[in-house]
Amino acid sequence: MSADQAAEKVQTLMEVLEKIWQDGDSVSLSGFGVLEVKKKNERVSVNPTTGVRMLVPPKLVLTYKPSTILKDKLK
Amino acid sequence: MDKKINLSQLADLMSQAGGMSKAASEQFVKNFFDIISQKVLTDGLVKVKGLGTFKLIQMEDRESVNVNTGERFMIEGHQKISFTPDVELKERVNKPFAAFETVEISAEQADKLAQMGKEPVAAESIVQDESQTVTAEPEKESANDAKPVVKEVTQRRGVRFLLKLIVWILSILLVLVIALYLFWPLIGNRVLERVERNIQIRDKQELVVPQGSPVNVQPADEQPVKEQPVKEIESAEVEQETAEPEIPEPVVTEPAVTEPVVTQPVIKPQTETGETKPAVTLDVRLNSKDAAKDLTEFTEADTVNFAMTGELTVHTLKKGETITRLALRYYGTKKLWPYIVKYNNIKDAGKLQEGARIRIPVLKAK
Repeated sequence: MSADQAAEKVQTLMEVLEKIWQDGDSVSLSGFGVLEVKKKNERVSVNPTTGVRMLVPPKLVLTYKPSTILKDKLK
Repeated sequence: MDKKINLSQLADLMSQAGGMSKAASEQFVKNFFDIISQKVLTDGLVKVKGLGTFKLIQMEDRESVNVNTGERFMIEGHQKISFTPDVELKERVNKPFAAFETVEISAEQADKLAQMGKEPVAAESIVQDESQTVTAEPEKESANDAKPVVKEVTQRRGVRFLLKLIVWILSILLVLVIALYLFWPLIGNRVLERVERNIQIRDKQELVVPQGSPVNVQPADEQPVKEQPVKEIESAEVEQETAEPEIPEPVVTEPAVTEPVVTQPVIKPQTETGETKPAVTLDVRLNSKDAAKDLTEFTEADTVNFAMTGELTVHTLKKGETITRLALRYYGTKKLWPYIVKYNNIKDAGKLQEGARIRIPVLKAK
C-alpha cells in the first residue's frame, strides 16, 4: 500500500468515525479501547482570583478509555 | 444511535464508504489502531490529524485516604493514556450544543442554579450509569435536556432587565423629588403668588357682579364701571386719593372720557362719608400688600418699556368692566393697564362709569 493510498484510507476512516460519533454511537475496539461521545453537564465555575462566576454550558465531548489489555502494557 | 460499534461493523462502514473489500478494510482499521497504541507506548505521543492526540502521561506517587476506614495509603505512580480530540472534530461532535456560550452570572443566580441543578444532575447521573452499562449517552436526549437550560437563561435575563428598569425609574423619580425640594423656594413662591392673585381676582369678580354698588370694596387697579350716584363716587374718590398716594398717575383735572365729575355739586353728607371711610381704608389695607405693590411696580415700569403710537380702537365701557380687563383683552396681559390710563388721562380709574369711551393705544416696544 502506498502512502497516498494509506492517507486516503485514513481520510475515509475519519469520515466514517465522525459519522458514528455524530450519531451518538461509540466505537469499541478490542486491544485499543473505547472512543465515545459523552455529555458533560452545565456547571458553574468560579475564577479563584477574581471570584467571577461563570455558567459553563453543557457540551458533548469525545472521550477515550483505553482497554485493559493496553492498560496492562503501561507501567 | 447508542450503538456500540465493533471492529467488524466499523469495517463494514469503511468498505461501504471507501469502496474497499470488507476484509481489507477490517485489516486496515485493525492495523491503524494497533500502530497508534504501539506508538503511544514507545514514543509517548501520537497525533492523528482529524482524530486527535494520544499522549502517555506519567502520574506521580500520591497519598490518598480510604473513604470508609480513614486509613492513609499510597497510590503508586503509574502511566495513563490521555486523549485530546482534534479541535475541528471536537466542534463537530459538539454541534448540538454549539449555540451555548459561557455566561457570567451573579452569586444569587449561581446559588439558585446550584439548588435547581441538584435534582437534574442526580437524575442525569443515574441515566449515565445505565447508559454506560448498555450504550453511550444518547445525543438527542441530551439535546432535549439543553432546551430548558436555554429557557432558564432567557428568563433570567428578562428578570434582570426588568429589575434594571425598575431601578432606573426609581432613581429618576428620586432625582425629580430632590430637584423639586431644592428649587421649591423659587418655584413655590411663584406658584403661591399666582394662586393668591387668582384668588384675589375671583373674590373681586364675585364682589363686582352681584353688587355693582360698593365702590369702596374694589381695589384701585380693578375698579369696575359703576352706575352710581355721583355723590358716593365723589366721596369714594376722595377716600381713595387719600388712601393711595403712591399712584404716580398724571393727575389731570378733566379726564377726557369720564363723566364730568367736577360739574356735579359736591354735596357730601358728612354721615355718608363717615360711613364709607372705614370701609375704604380697610379694603385698601387688605389689598394694599399686593395691589399697592403691583401699582407702583407697573406704573413705574410699564409706561417706560412701550411707546404709544396711535390709536388701536375706542372701547365703550360696559357694566363690570375694568381698565385691567381692557388691558388683558387688547394686550393679552393685565400688566399693561397703566398705558390705557395714561393715554386717556384718566384721573381715577375707580371713578369710570358705564358707557365711558376708552381709547386703546397701540403699543410698541421701545
